[in-house]
Amino acid sequence: MFDGTVKAIADAIPLAIVASTPLLLAVQGELAVQRSGIINLGIEGMMLAAALAAAFTAHATASVAAGFLGGIAGAALVALLFGLFVIVLKADQIVTGTAINLLAAGATAFIYRELHLTSALPRLAFDPIVPLAWIVFPVALALLLWNTSFGLRLRAAGENPDAIASSVRSHRALALLIEAVLAGLAGAYLSLGLSSGFAENMTSGRGFIALSIVIFGRWKVKGALAGTAIFGLAAVTQYTLQASSGLSYHLLLAVPYVLTLLILCGVAGRVRAPESLGR
Amino acid sequence: MRRLAVTLGRAFAAAAVAVLLLALSGAAFGHSPAELLGILVSGSVGSRFALEGTLLKSVPLLLTGLSVAVAFRAGVWNIGAEGQFIVGALAGLLASRWGVAAALIASMLAGAAWASLATAMRLLRNAPEVLTTILLNFTAIHLLGWSVNGPLRESIAQYPQSDPAGVALPVLAGQVHAGLPIAVLAAIALWVLIHRTREGLRLRATGFSPNAAEWAGINVRAQLARAMAISGAVAGLAGGIELLGVTHRLFERFASGYGYSGIAVALLAQLHPLATVLSALFFGALVTGAGELQRTANISAAVATLGQALVILTLIGFEHVRRNRQSNR
Repeated sequence: MFDGTVKAIADAIPLAIVASTPLLLAVQGELAVQRSGIINLGIEGMMLAAALAAAFTAHATASVAAGFLGGIAGAALVALLFGLFVIVLKADQIVTGTAINLLAAGATAFIYRELHLTSALPRLAFDPIVPLAWIVFPVALALLLWNTSFGLRLRAAGENPDAIASSVRSHRALALLIEAVLAGLAGAYLSLGLSSGFAENMTSGRGFIALSIVIFGRWKVKGALAGTAIFGLAAVTQYTLQASSGLSYHLLLAVPYVLTLLILCGVAGRVRAPESLGR
Repeated sequence: MRRLAVTLGRAFAAAAVAVLLLALSGAAFGHSPAELLGILVSGSVGSRFALEGTLLKSVPLLLTGLSVAVAFRAGVWNIGAEGQFIVGALAGLLASRWGVAAALIASMLAGAAWASLATAMRLLRNAPEVLTTILLNFTAIHLLGWSVNGPLRESIAQYPQSDPAGVALPVLAGQVHAGLPIAVLAAIALWVLIHRTREGLRLRATGFSPNAAEWAGINVRAQLARAMAISGAVAGLAGGIELLGVTHRLFERFASGYGYSGIAVALLAQLHPLATVLSALFFGALVTGAGELQRTANISAAVATLGQALVILTLIGFEHVRRNRQSNR
């Protein structure tokens, strides 16, 4: 029994890494933007828009690479709108994020029905996204945020905006752009990598799970990696144990969300957010 | 009086702009905007049947809108009306053997309890309610999925749905059921609570500035907990009424976004309980008209969700213009 459990968990590791790749990309994007002082609840909508834009572009060009670029463009479009309201108009970030999520859910469902994407999508020949997400981007993001003067100013925009008053807006906009690239790749990976095509609401809350993991990881890249790894492994282990556990499939579907709630309750009380987050 | 007129005018303008933007989105995909608007209007208010449909959809929207309005007024981000709606309906179904009143009370208690989970996580573990309420929505959706595929599955076990509830709300006229007057009474009761009682004053003060409220001797934590419980109870009631008045059974897609739509309903009404009645009627018409668009023109009914987002974003834009004018004076 115990050996079986250990083996199931060991078998689950590669699956967990691949399955939580979009989540990790989203976590890193949200980390960058929250470090600059913005809570982007609309990352869920960003990923959803990216998933559809990627499926459409890949379909139109018969190229997966173009599909990923299309995904980034889709997320950037959403980021532009979010940035316009939050950075330029100084609208409430939570209300705007919620509106963005409704907008993306409605618009993608509406457009998807209009597009009639019938023929099969091109498949990923090899998968560069997984090593990018787990190795290259974390190193690059950590270096960018903590070893460059740009990163210092970006974090200042989140901690003490008065210190760099003149460039708070531009640094927040650039942080949003970084998030758009990462969330765009995440959304594209959902529709082109993990499944073959778009489906309505296919992000199924990954954006909100990502926000929770940013808190769990204390707004650090190491924490983001550890949080996503723990979450991914726990979620996948649940699925692989499904057969032996006798738990209903429908109850197991709730596991990622309950797990995220536990993660939030486990640590949130003892962490310090960037000082000017959300203002 | 003048302020009221301006506020109302802005809300109507935002609704109109959003509907126009919606028609333009249709035009971008080759649909005639005039035809699209025509179907939206005739499908929502163009016939007795359409009007009844609009009233039916307005009932859950009014209640989830009120739920969001109470929470936002107190400054708590309850994005969880969707989940509270679902657990409300689940409890309503279980209690329906004891009659309509028992079922609706159970709905309210379950909604309040589900919302209070988020309160507990916020007050005891400092977990932000904006995230926990959303995560509780997903949890509730899968709890419902499990229920109608498992313990609550209909006795002939043909579809993933429950047996019909033991009781139903009385029908008033056509398809319109007693949930409509209940929802309007709830709006009046919440207006009295928020604008005419000490409790409402404390609630609004907490939402306006928690620090100032604390200084004024208000127990902010208890105030947040009560606002969240009331908000959850109203969303739970919405679920119970939808079950006993419209669907009679539970199934996986029972909530169909009413909880999230409540956010748009509340914001268009500027979080005012009485204005929420008008706002709910507008969005009820939009949802009903969008359903007709899907049936007759094969345009996704999700344009209703798109319209809700456009209303919120247009309102934010107007608010910005107003602030700029004031500061330029």
